Amino acid sequence: MKKRLRVRDIGKRSDQLVEITPEDLLPLPDLSNQSDRETPIPQLTEDQKRQYEASLDGVVAIGIQKPKNEKEEEEFVEKFLSGLKKLLSKDDNWTFLQPLMHSLEYCARCQICNEVCPIYLASGKQEIYRPTFRSEVLRRIVRKYLKKQGKFRSKFTGNDIELNSRTIGRLAELAYRCTLCRRCAQVCPMGVDNGLISHEIRKLFSQELGIAPKELHELGTVQQLEVGSSTGITPKALENIIDFMQEEIQEKTGREIEIPVDRERADILFLQNAGEFISWPENTEAFAIIFDTLGINWTLSSELVGYDAVNYGVWYDDVQLARIAIRQAEVARKLKVKRISVGECGHAHKALLVVADRVLTGDLNIPRESAIPILEDAVCHGKIRLDPRRNDFPVTLHDPCNLVRMSGIVEPQRRILRKICPQFREMEPHGVENYCCGGGSGLAIMSSMNFQAWKETISGRMKLKQILEAFQDVLDPATHKYVCAPCSNCKGQIRDLLNSHGAWDKYGILYGGLVELIVNAMVDLEKPFIEWEWR
Amino acid sequence: MSSILTIMTYFSYIFIVTLYAVKVVRIARMPVHLRWELYPVLHETERKYGGSYYEDLEWWKRNRQKGRVRGILFLLKDNFSMGEYFHRNRAYWLVLLPWHIGFIFIIVFHVFCFFGALAMVLGLAVSPESSSALGRFLYFSVLVTGGISFITGTFGSVGMAIKRLSDEELRTYASPQNYFNYLFTLVIFLSGLYAWYFVDPTLSEYRQFWRGLITLKPMSVETAAAFHILAFALFLIYLPFTRSIHYITKFFAYLWIRWDDRPNVPGSKIERMVEKCLNQPVSWSAPHIQSGNKWAEVVSKMPTANQKEPKGNEEEIKGKGYRQTERPTG
Repeated sequence: MKKRLRVRDIGKRSDQLVEITPEDLLPLPDLSNQSDRETPIPQLTEDQKRQYEASLDGVVAIGIQKPKNEKEEEEFVEKFLSGLKKLLSKDDNWTFLQPLMHSLEYCARCQICNEVCPIYLASGKQEIYRPTFRSEVLRRIVRKYLKKQGKFRSKFTGNDIELNSRTIGRLAELAYRCTLCRRCAQVCPMGVDNGLISHEIRKLFSQELGIAPKELHELGTVQQLEVGSSTGITPKALENIIDFMQEEIQEKTGREIEIPVDRERADILFLQNAGEFISWPENTEAFAIIFDTLGINWTLSSELVGYDAVNYGVWYDDVQLARIAIRQAEVARKLKVKRISVGECGHAHKALLVVADRVLTGDLNIPRESAIPILEDAVCHGKIRLDPRRNDFPVTLHDPCNLVRMSGIVEPQRRILRKICPQFREMEPHGVENYCCGGGSGLAIMSSMNFQAWKETISGRMKLKQILEAFQDVLDPATHKYVCAPCSNCKGQIRDLLNSHGAWDKYGILYGGLVELIVNAMVDLEKPFIEWEWR
Repeated sequence: MSSILTIMTYFSYIFIVTLYAVKVVRIARMPVHLRWELYPVLHETERKYGGSYYEDLEWWKRNRQKGRVRGILFLLKDNFSMGEYFHRNRAYWLVLLPWHIGFIFIIVFHVFCFFGALAMVLGLAVSPESSSALGRFLYFSVLVTGGISFITGTFGSVGMAIKRLSDEELRTYASPQNYFNYLFTLVIFLSGLYAWYFVDPTLSEYRQFWRGLITLKPMSVETAAAFHILAFALFLIYLPFTRSIHYITKFFAYLWIRWDDRPNVPGSKIERMVEKCLNQPVSWSAPHIQSGNKWAEVVSKMPTANQKEPKGNEEEIKGKGYRQTERPTG
């Protein structure tokens, strides 16, 4: 039996705090034709281990350079403490001070939150992934090094922790072993939010030490603000993509549909996750077909940031969050649209509708909504002619955490699926009690070194289990099955999960968005819209 | 001795009320925060599955469901049921609930002692034979609440200590203070139980003591009851240094954070509070933040291309997830 790790071990001198073996992992459903044999997460090279902080679990999400000497280590610790002070200040962290202080001060250490954390469970209950572990590390550092409790009080209240570069580096990595799904917060009777604590640790590193995963910051928010999109799509490239999508719509449907760009005074500025343009253009095409059928006066924007709904700032940096939300609202103001509608992107819903709601003031406070109720209205009130028999294959729904638990949009997508998919079945649990896809809070787009393998093996494991269980009665690959995931990041993670476990070849499980299913059921279209090929 | 008990009791009540008030004011005066609600929110009574007003078309044109009474009632009720623990860790619940019931009832017991004493000062007989219904009610209320508190509290204190020691998961995260708290509460509840059973079966000593507090004429009480009163006064002084105020802060956590879905309506109080916060200075030091400026200035400026970006691994990034199945774009 493994020795239980203590919170104080976070600062311990060791090459790696935990080693996760395939035997530790949560078993997947025992399927008759399962040929899965778990492979361990690949080891880093010696050079990588020497260079980067990887001593938590042998996985690297951020790539923090290790301090080269004592002076660098001291600076690292000092900067961390300086950031921690700012995290607890009402000037620097007015954005989350009240929720943070509550979560730091009132945990009853009852541990009931752990049993709902998909990462903790999937990993075979590794101590470091326990939601309360990282929170307790931060609490102890605050009490010992900021509140400077005396020796007796420190011992009495259990502040046994040593602050060094290992503690800090591991804590930073640990903040990216949580998807901020907030299932733990949902069950806490005290209202303590361990997901928020992960979020705040990430902020401290980004806003004070300038440390963040490259995919989120440099290739994410910075690129979005400078180039226009986190995908790297420039306004010029967008033109080409739109031409391509219009041509493809014509090829698939025979219809000539214009995708409007920069149409002033439109009713809707449609904000789509630009990842869809590159990886799943059929999603935007489907929206265009539906909007055209409904006669909606809508537009895309070609302005920087205005054509990408994403806002990675919501996961790690309040300044970047506010910058992007403000820029998106400015684009809408300039176009004089009546409202902004967000497409199938969970975190964009949370960022623009919920979190950044208290950043947009004055004439930037333009009505913002989800596109899903528009779809529900169209489908459930007969505004589009649909034939559910066209979708007569097993369909299950993945609930993006940011859409359901964080934005409260739960039923419209279900009403649509019940109407147009005769073989719709729920995953268990679902709705606001759903499990994260494992790619939440930016993890879906992070893939440095061996992090991709960690996501596929651990953070997404519970979702894979749910998907397989939802289709357990129809696993024959000849029966095509569809995981509906109305969120770009979730789709990316589910794609990688299914791919890494060969679910398309073995079980015939494909994934896609919600609008594709609606268009697939449209009686006016001659050919099916969904193409049953792996993508 | 009776004077010391009187002074200690007065001091302990003033102390705890003052410190709790300071804590509450400190929380209430924290700046408005960004929205961070978690669904379901309780006031969405027609969407108990966890829906929000964002499920409506053009939600900003409709009336929102709001109201805090339902939430407050739910939280009050939960203090007596602790439903989440019941569902998720029944063994823990079996000791946690009695422990907390002990706290709730000891407070109610003292409130009834106060009113019982007040009634006596006003000339009302507080006894089972009292001609006044109020007098009989106060007599039995003191007896029942005191009894429940001492029994459940004693059981809970012992049970909590055993549970935390025997469960490795709980023990790993426990501090010496946890065990000290169990011991301290055991002393209080057990001393109350002892005094009740062996010395003061009608709990009249406490009413007498409270009568002395009200009339400022300290009354002497039996040693066992005096010990309980002293221990309880010390406990009240100790409480503000623990997490005990979670009974109150829990309400804020739910009402002001978890269920706070109030939209930032143009011209609203929230908008004014946000504007105030945006005028505060920023001192974060990362290169992409223009430290020293106001929030509003920092977030409305685009970062310049030549600034140093946060450190990340340089060569190891394979590329963003989106691009793994890149398609032709034209």
